[in-house]
Amino acid sequence: MSTAPPATAQRRAAPPVITAWSAVSPYGLGRAAHAAGLASGGPTAGPVDDTQPLWAGGPDESACLVPGFEVRKVLGKAGTRTMDRVTGLAVTAVRELFQDAADAADGADGAGTGTAPVPAGAGTALVLGTTLGSAYLQHMFSKASFEGTKPYDVPTQWMPNVLMNCPASATAIRYGLKGPNATLAGGRPAALLALAYARRLLAAGRAERTVVGASEEYSAARAWLERHGSAAAGGAQDVPLGEGCAVLVLEPGDGGADAGGSGNPPLAEVLAIDVRTDIRGDVPATLADCVTDALDQAASRPDDVWAALGGGLPGPAGDAEQALLSERFGAAATERLAGHELIGDTAAASGAFQLAAVLAGAAADPAAAGRTAVVTSVDRDGVVACAVLRLCEQAPRRGAGPVPMAAPPRGAPGHGEAAQLPLPPGGREEGSPDE
Amino acid sequence: MSGRRVVVTGIGVLSSIGNGAAEFTRALREGRCGAGPITRFDATGFREQYAHEVRDFEPADWIHHLRPDTLGRTTQFSLAAARMATRDADLEPDRLRETRVLVTIGTTDGEAAEYERLIETELAEGPEGMDATAVRRLPAHRLALAVVRELRLPYAAPSVLGTACAAGNYAIGDGFDAIRSGEADYALVGGADALARRTFAGFSRMGLVAPDRCRPFDAEREGLLTAEGAGVLLLEPLDSALARGARIYAELLGYGLNCDAHHPTAPALESVSRCMELALADAGVKTGEVDLVSAHGTGTKTNDVTEARAIRAVFGDEPPRTVALKSMLGHSMGAASALGAAASALALARGFIPPTVNHRSTDPECGIDCVPNHAVAEAPRVVVNNGLAFGGNNASLVLGRSDRTEDSPRDPEDPR
Repeated sequence: MSTAPPATAQRRAAPPVITAWSAVSPYGLGRAAHAAGLASGGPTAGPVDDTQPLWAGGPDESACLVPGFEVRKVLGKAGTRTMDRVTGLAVTAVRELFQDAADAADGADGAGTGTAPVPAGAGTALVLGTTLGSAYLQHMFSKASFEGTKPYDVPTQWMPNVLMNCPASATAIRYGLKGPNATLAGGRPAALLALAYARRLLAAGRAERTVVGASEEYSAARAWLERHGSAAAGGAQDVPLGEGCAVLVLEPGDGGADAGGSGNPPLAEVLAIDVRTDIRGDVPATLADCVTDALDQAASRPDDVWAALGGGLPGPAGDAEQALLSERFGAAATERLAGHELIGDTAAASGAFQLAAVLAGAAADPAAAGRTAVVTSVDRDGVVACAVLRLCEQAPRRGAGPVPMAAPPRGAPGHGEAAQLPLPPGGREEGSPDE
Repeated sequence: MSGRRVVVTGIGVLSSIGNGAAEFTRALREGRCGAGPITRFDATGFREQYAHEVRDFEPADWIHHLRPDTLGRTTQFSLAAARMATRDADLEPDRLRETRVLVTIGTTDGEAAEYERLIETELAEGPEGMDATAVRRLPAHRLALAVVRELRLPYAAPSVLGTACAAGNYAIGDGFDAIRSGEADYALVGGADALARRTFAGFSRMGLVAPDRCRPFDAEREGLLTAEGAGVLLLEPLDSALARGARIYAELLGYGLNCDAHHPTAPALESVSRCMELALADAGVKTGEVDLVSAHGTGTKTNDVTEARAIRAVFGDEPPRTVALKSMLGHSMGAASALGAAASALALARGFIPPTVNHRSTDPECGIDCVPNHAVAEAPRVVVNNGLAFGGNNASLVLGRSDRTEDSPRDPEDPR
């Protein structure tokens, strides 16, 4: 058992806080739809329509898709001519996040929380996680080169989308986010690595707040890579693949115990994030050390833990992760929240959806306040990560109160149009100046 | 903001003009150009035939623990440059194993070239028979992960930043913040990319690829040449470098990063200026103290004019000398600004200004002294190194001559 050396000169500042979250998921668009879906536990897997180019020729009969999600229907036609799915999911999740914050500030339902809307401009950073970007777009682009009359007959209007940073930069363009804008490739723990990166940005004073999350699309190209990759790693893909994007707002905790830097009421404090790599061929032992050190950094004891949620990697490493969490924290903590078994394997977005599950669950359970949540993630390549959050008392909000057991608002028809924000400055039809 | 001072004590470089800090320095001084016929993919049918490739790269020289066949070329580059940086810093891996280390690598395309080969086979044979070993090489985070596994660093967090062509600067900035705050005691940070056909095809179709040589800031510039390479810096606190008697190349004084939030491919002048201003403010450096700008300088019509105007907006009508290393190195994507940072540190340590080669006559619209064709034997005190990217992801670094550089042991291979 090894204990990580303390960082020699780490300054002790108030931990950063999460003040808002939202998601676009197989349960629909927005925080309320996702929270209600998780609470209902309803199934989300459905048939894959292989008449769509994105899904044609894939290996799966079913997947957990965002219902009815078509970029131009959800986001409108302005500025979306060359917006791909993984980008559209991210742009929509951030739209929902901002709309939710604005609604809460307005108290549109008569119960405003006083939350300030998330401002655009240079003070807001955006950090999104990924694995390799859009496999579909990359596949389509290279295929055009191999099969075209000339090898340079490639659809250059999609060239920015082939790059990993497209979702983050397109979101910045749409909402005028001029602060640091980063894309972090980290596989399944990407959102936890992104959270650690965002924490560094805030600690260095490079932004006033950071939107952090991860986006993943379902495509035939990704499905083939997942299938071959998991087989090679010795883990069968026993849950359907999923997709979506979950995002949250991270702010400095300098506002004191009750508030983030903006004065917004915190949903959770980020007490610790520990990320490391298995270098001894023993992922379970590495994860065990990682969890121990994260709890130490958080000064949190196992009986403080209200919920522990693993990343659901199919195969032996994921099974060992689950066993470790059960052993450390008991069944009450590990069975409190559901993750990938409901919305499918969201891969690069899985860590973001774990954080969303914690925040949604805590909002629905008053007993969570003051206790901690442990979120772990293990990647096929041996990266392990553990985040420890302390949950805060939450003001009652729409969609987070007593949970109806009725079916979730799948697809939430008309929701996209109803919630559509006016097109912000900069969010216009794009075109390459160099063509 | 205050915090620990951060210095560069190790440099690992793979480039079309030479591998390793000593050879890279010689090449920068000579103004070597690494352009040559494409060999990394079948370029039959393309209108342009030149790129900048890394030569004389033998993975086994650098990779001792992991199986090279489980790693794509970009990951091999990243790993080799990281090991080179630790050796160059005269730092035993054992020492790194006892402490918190940050490993952050920037990339544009990750293992795109690997994926292209899989796609080519798949188009012929169907997706069922894909080579699973090759599939496992694809995830971009392996660029950092492989460094951690190969060097066996138990407390290292591996991150890969996919912020396109500014990614190297993003990664170095991340290391700077982690060392300055005390979150980490060493950082291995930089960028890597291998030559990818799809990038070449895209730029070619957009008419942005030069037929023979890249000529940034030239009145007759015809575009960029794509390239491959890797640059990794070893960063540590000044105090620790002094305590162990390390050679200090340069001090990392600060950095800035922002987003245009304007256009997917066209740079925004005001935002690029703002990025340099953020970096200078972070470093506590005045514009008059800057002796050299290592520009993003791609050699395309749009970039060079916009960037030169942004530099003039920051520095006034007589801006510092502004060089474009891409004239020598090509555009190595995520590695580009990391190689720029390595070159900046070497220029500071060795006392020279690298040139912009292949130059004929400067575009009056750019209006800068790009140090045409020949290095200048003058020692800069402060260098600004720019990285600009598709998506408006900008990052600028500020590096300064270390007041301890003169006391440091010299590189025996260096002819200074």
